[in-house]
Amino acid sequence: MNIEKRTQHFMLGAVGVLLLVLLMIAVKQDYFSRSTAIYFFTPNAQGLSKGMAVKFVGFKVGSVKEVRMQPNATVQVKVSLDDEYVHLIGQDAKARLVKEALVGESVVEIIPGSQQVRQVIQDSVLEFERGQDTSAVVENLASQLQPILSDIHQITSSINNPNGDIQQTLKNLNQASGSFRETVSQFTQLGSSANQKLDGVYLKFDKALDRVNSSLETLDKGMPHLVEKADRTLDNIQSATSDIKKITNDSSSEVPALVRNANALVQDGQDTLGGVKKSWLLNGLFTKPEEQALPVDSYVAPRQP
Amino acid sequence: MKIVRSNLPKVITVLCGLLLLSACGHVEEARSVRQEQATDFNLHAQRAFQRGEYQVAAALYENALQIDVAIENVDGIAINILNLARVNQVLGKPALAQRYLDSLLGDKALHFLPAHLAAAAVQRSLLRLQENDVAGATEWADKAAVYCVSDCKLSGVIDNARASIALRANEADKALYWSERAGSENKNASPIEYANSLRLSASARLLKLEPDAALRLAEEAMVIDKSLGLPDKIRQDLLLSAQAHDKLGHVELAAQCRDRAARIAATALK
Repeated sequence: MNIEKRTQHFMLGAVGVLLLVLLMIAVKQDYFSRSTAIYFFTPNAQGLSKGMAVKFVGFKVGSVKEVRMQPNATVQVKVSLDDEYVHLIGQDAKARLVKEALVGESVVEIIPGSQQVRQVIQDSVLEFERGQDTSAVVENLASQLQPILSDIHQITSSINNPNGDIQQTLKNLNQASGSFRETVSQFTQLGSSANQKLDGVYLKFDKALDRVNSSLETLDKGMPHLVEKADRTLDNIQSATSDIKKITNDSSSEVPALVRNANALVQDGQDTLGGVKKSWLLNGLFTKPEEQALPVDSYVAPRQP
Repeated sequence: MKIVRSNLPKVITVLCGLLLLSACGHVEEARSVRQEQATDFNLHAQRAFQRGEYQVAAALYENALQIDVAIENVDGIAINILNLARVNQVLGKPALAQRYLDSLLGDKALHFLPAHLAAAAVQRSLLRLQENDVAGATEWADKAAVYCVSDCKLSGVIDNARASIALRANEADKALYWSERAGSENKNASPIEYANSLRLSASARLLKLEPDAALRLAEEAMVIDKSLGLPDKIRQDLLLSAQAHDKLGHVELAAQCRDRAARIAATALK
């Protein structure tokens, strides 16, 4: 009897532990918290997995419950949101797949929609977009740096090229300076009588160089401004072009409808006018057209001689 | 007076009621869809004729005529036959024009208005004249005058036709008589016919060796023809002016007028 009782207590204890474990699992699995299931669709499931955290303004508000492929090869993602936060999420909110840090786990972030729009309900579908991951950012950066690097490469190769403009200019300058030295020595040999004249020439040459320097400085100051302006102009042109494209795309579906409406309007107008013309108050003003004879012309071309 | 004033609102109401009743009593002339269709064809053809699209005009007049024959609209039949004769005359098909006119003038089954018969007869006369058949033209002009009785608007046209016949027969005095008579009839009635009268008078004056008067008349006719935009007639006015200048000894002016006429002829517009 004693053994039976002990066995009974042991069994009850085991069942109790089992129930406790099950309870803990249930709590962990949010079986006791009330939640709302919502969905979003994406062309591929890359980076999405079951159990993934769903965050809203930095707080965990739910998790990904299911990632399933649809018959049309799109991916349906079921997200469970705590009811506590549901009232904060409008139906125009978006789900975005982002990485929390440069190296870290991906999470689904809910981007809040408009407060005026109705909140999400059970089985609502949100729009989905992928945030840029690190590789995309690096790739983007690399694509922007590439033209700069190629420009630098071109400039350095141009400098190093013996037949390039810069090398040639340096050579010319070198030759010119040699010639100049020779000239100076010849001038020196001309004697002291010519010294005064040479001073004048030096002075003029110096002034000329100063002017050249000043012009180059002005050009140097003006160039970035000009480049910036040209850059802005190009941006404006690009923006205008994209606006025009957008307007054309937007209106392309409306134009045929507009033409149809205009036709209907003209028909209505004609019908109305016809009705007004027939009304007894106005029919006297509009006489019905009659068949008309062309005026007789008595002109007979004279016979050619 | 006092009674009327006191009952003024009642009087106005009664008058309005009577007006409404009379308006409701007005019955609009019923017109079939077919007849409206024929009218549409006729009006479109007229616009085509005015634009110089004579082939189109002929086709549309034929459509109108077909409908008018089908619904036996006698006036419509006469009008469209006359128009078809005129279009074919302009298109250079006098034989076809003549057949249309004969079908109208020789119709025993339908009774056309005398005005339509007069128009057909005068057109027939002008066609004969075009063929240089002076006798036939005179005969048809006389018939036209018979048809052209009370309230006829074609007397000026008939007189012009008679003036043309006289000119073709080199009878200057007769031509001047008919053209001046036609001019006085047409002056306020039809600019196109008035210009024709002036041109015929100018030709008669030239035959009578009166170039001054002929030049004046030809220039007056040209002003009207230019306002109407009639190239063939402007060219004819210029040729008459050239003849008058020749007779007056203005050789250079005559040459200028001939040059202007040649340029118009080169456009081949009628």
